[in-house]
Amino acid sequence: MTESGFTVDVDQNQYLPEGGREVSAIVTVASAADATGFAGSGSAGTEPEGSAEIIIIDCSGSMEYPHTKIAEARAATAAAVDVVRDGVLFAVIAGTNQAWPVFPADGSMARADASSRAAAKQAVAGLRAGGGTAIGQWLELARATFARYPAKLRHAILLTDGKNQHETPDQLAAAVHQCEGFFSCDCRGVGTDWEVGELRTISTGLLGSVDIVPDPSGLAADFAALMRSAMGKQVADVALRVWTPQHATVKYVKQVAPTVDDLTGRRTTSGPQSGDYPTGAWGPGESRDYHVGVEVSPAGIGQEMLAARVSLVAQSPSGTDVLGQGLVRAIWTDDEALSTKINQRVAHYTGQAELAAAIQDGLEARKQGDEETATAKLGRAVALAHQSGNEDTAKLLAKVVDVVDVETGTVRLKKQVEDADEMALDTRSIKTVRARK
Amino acid sequence: MTGPEGVTGGPLALEGTCPSCGAPVGARDSFCESCGTELSPPKVSTEPPGYEAQCPVCSLDPQAAPSVITPDGYCESCGRRAPTGRDHSELDLGLLAGVTDRGLRHTRNEDAMGLATVDTTGGPVAIAVVCDGVSTSPRPDEASLAATQASVRALVTAVRRGEDPVDASLAGVQSAHRALAMIGSPGAAPSATYISAVIGRDAVTVCWLGDSRAYWLSTGPDVIRLSTDDSLAEELVARGQMNEMQALASPQAHVITRWLGADLPELEPHLIRFEPPRPGVVLVCSDGLWNYRPDAESLAELALPAAFADPLGTAAELVKFAIDAGGMDNITVVLVPFPLAPFPEEPPHPKTVPVRRLAPLSRRSSA
Repeated sequence: MTESGFTVDVDQNQYLPEGGREVSAIVTVASAADATGFAGSGSAGTEPEGSAEIIIIDCSGSMEYPHTKIAEARAATAAAVDVVRDGVLFAVIAGTNQAWPVFPADGSMARADASSRAAAKQAVAGLRAGGGTAIGQWLELARATFARYPAKLRHAILLTDGKNQHETPDQLAAAVHQCEGFFSCDCRGVGTDWEVGELRTISTGLLGSVDIVPDPSGLAADFAALMRSAMGKQVADVALRVWTPQHATVKYVKQVAPTVDDLTGRRTTSGPQSGDYPTGAWGPGESRDYHVGVEVSPAGIGQEMLAARVSLVAQSPSGTDVLGQGLVRAIWTDDEALSTKINQRVAHYTGQAELAAAIQDGLEARKQGDEETATAKLGRAVALAHQSGNEDTAKLLAKVVDVVDVETGTVRLKKQVEDADEMALDTRSIKTVRARK
Repeated sequence: MTGPEGVTGGPLALEGTCPSCGAPVGARDSFCESCGTELSPPKVSTEPPGYEAQCPVCSLDPQAAPSVITPDGYCESCGRRAPTGRDHSELDLGLLAGVTDRGLRHTRNEDAMGLATVDTTGGPVAIAVVCDGVSTSPRPDEASLAATQASVRALVTAVRRGEDPVDASLAGVQSAHRALAMIGSPGAAPSATYISAVIGRDAVTVCWLGDSRAYWLSTGPDVIRLSTDDSLAEELVARGQMNEMQALASPQAHVITRWLGADLPELEPHLIRFEPPRPGVVLVCSDGLWNYRPDAESLAELALPAAFADPLGTAAELVKFAIDAGGMDNITVVLVPFPLAPFPEEPPHPKTVPVRRLAPLSRRSSA
């Protein structure tokens, strides 16, 4: 590990044929497992006082059906509150077709200690369900609450059980956009009446995870785990800064492990030839892979060009800290043995991204009643999951289709599919299997 | 046609003044007696001091802003790799000259050369070292340069001290070996081929590992390759399994069986001493040249007679020949006209010793 506590490694085939333009590479970013070395990164490290947490809990009428949902949601919120470290700012917000502060009731945030945690749990215990669902309003209140305090790490957990009925998709998208880069948000859907696409919009925009908790009794453990993970984050607002030469275009920047997350559209210009792609907050011992694709204007045989310089950057009071750097190269050759060599990790992650897309497209087609497309897409997904050894996804697929031939991806759609199975497949379609060097 | 009679060895160090302090110095002095400056230091194909890299594309565009080259060696504007000071280098010491070039297909020059002249009581001695970085090893460009610098320095010191050329050659290769052991480990060993030639009044002493070569070129029938390659191709030829052209066309042609590097278990250089029967030219080169003309006769045709009078210009011509032929590899060419100084009134001793019968004097390291 470097002094910054981060390493950046590039894996690629740098050789292009004559006239070749497409350069792609897998960039692996890893943080040191040793938390002390990590905090040594100075300005980028964060004390408890620099962290702020908000738990957003759905109190719409449907949370009463069954009654255990709201009860488990209260218990889960209490479990998460218990995990908040001393000194961290926290608050609890309730949401229906509007949003209101539950704790502290005046819309402020409290420093975590034994008495504030007890007071928060007491306030949460009084929550009752009733009303509609307007998630954009909840996010807006969270943003306003966070904005009252300086903090380096702002993180929220959002729980819902239903569709975003009292807002248009545009209103939700606008609210998410307002919060982008300001706080991160992990989303959980309880039961099977919520929309995977809606929560994915939020979790993707706010660089968090999304998952289904089919049984309300699983909520408490899940919330506590989410909060523990959030407490482990130490470096906030880390971005991939991608420099490219003149006349070159960044085709895509995707996180491909542990989950697929397309960051291409998230670029903010950071210089005449560079753009920043957000990666959110980092805890110790994390490792993520990114697939970077650049189109360059070709040079002659034997020429070498720097196709991209990928830097990991974090903002600090003293300016921009470069935590690590990797070079993506292009060398033009007439040796076909070199230029046609396929980089195994690039190929693997290309397959994993296709797998995620095939599942999402297949399930959407199934919903629309287009059985032919659904069968083809989900069949392709079965074959890809098998080839890449993504067993978790293969198991989830097997609950939605009957596999006839795993090699060719020949499948039949199951007539009866549990909603929870379909939603689990959809939400977890973005989880990838790691490709080792 | 200019005959060998036209050969004139350049003067080594004129009776004159020290370039550093201006004090008078003797023609045979190695160092200035007054300030200690080395009077004819070895020259190595390093990046010249004060070299400023320029973008090969943007610097040609009058409209473009002056290009900035980043510390990692790329143009900050167009991303093109900027040539290092080692991409093309020409060294001329009068008695001998060399040219090294990146070629067309490699992105950098991983060859290195070092030249020196030393005045001894027995007359002038010319020293040439060529190393070719092994591209499958880490940092091959560093390896070739480190080995060359260490070797040429050790050779100069040994020859100045009056050591026999064979001992001096061993000192050179051992010094290069130590230099590579220092910058590598058995697991990650920057490596290079190695060849040195020490040319004195009567003989040429060649020491090598790998497939960089030395040739004796003359207008007579005694033209010959002085070194044998440590390569699979050469082994196949030696075993009679292939002829030279077949072997060179085979995929293993460039797999070398010996080299210098920290992963070398035991230093076993080849060493031969050759007594030229007549005037001629010693050619020391990397495979970037001989790939296109492996046999000594063809190389003699290319280099002679021009090399007698103009070693530098002829070395540049040979490099150009290799580039025009494809420039697949880095190219290094060093030419040393023999004898180093015009013959005295008497002709050279008419001794002809077929080099093939000359067994290596030592295959063992004394390190």
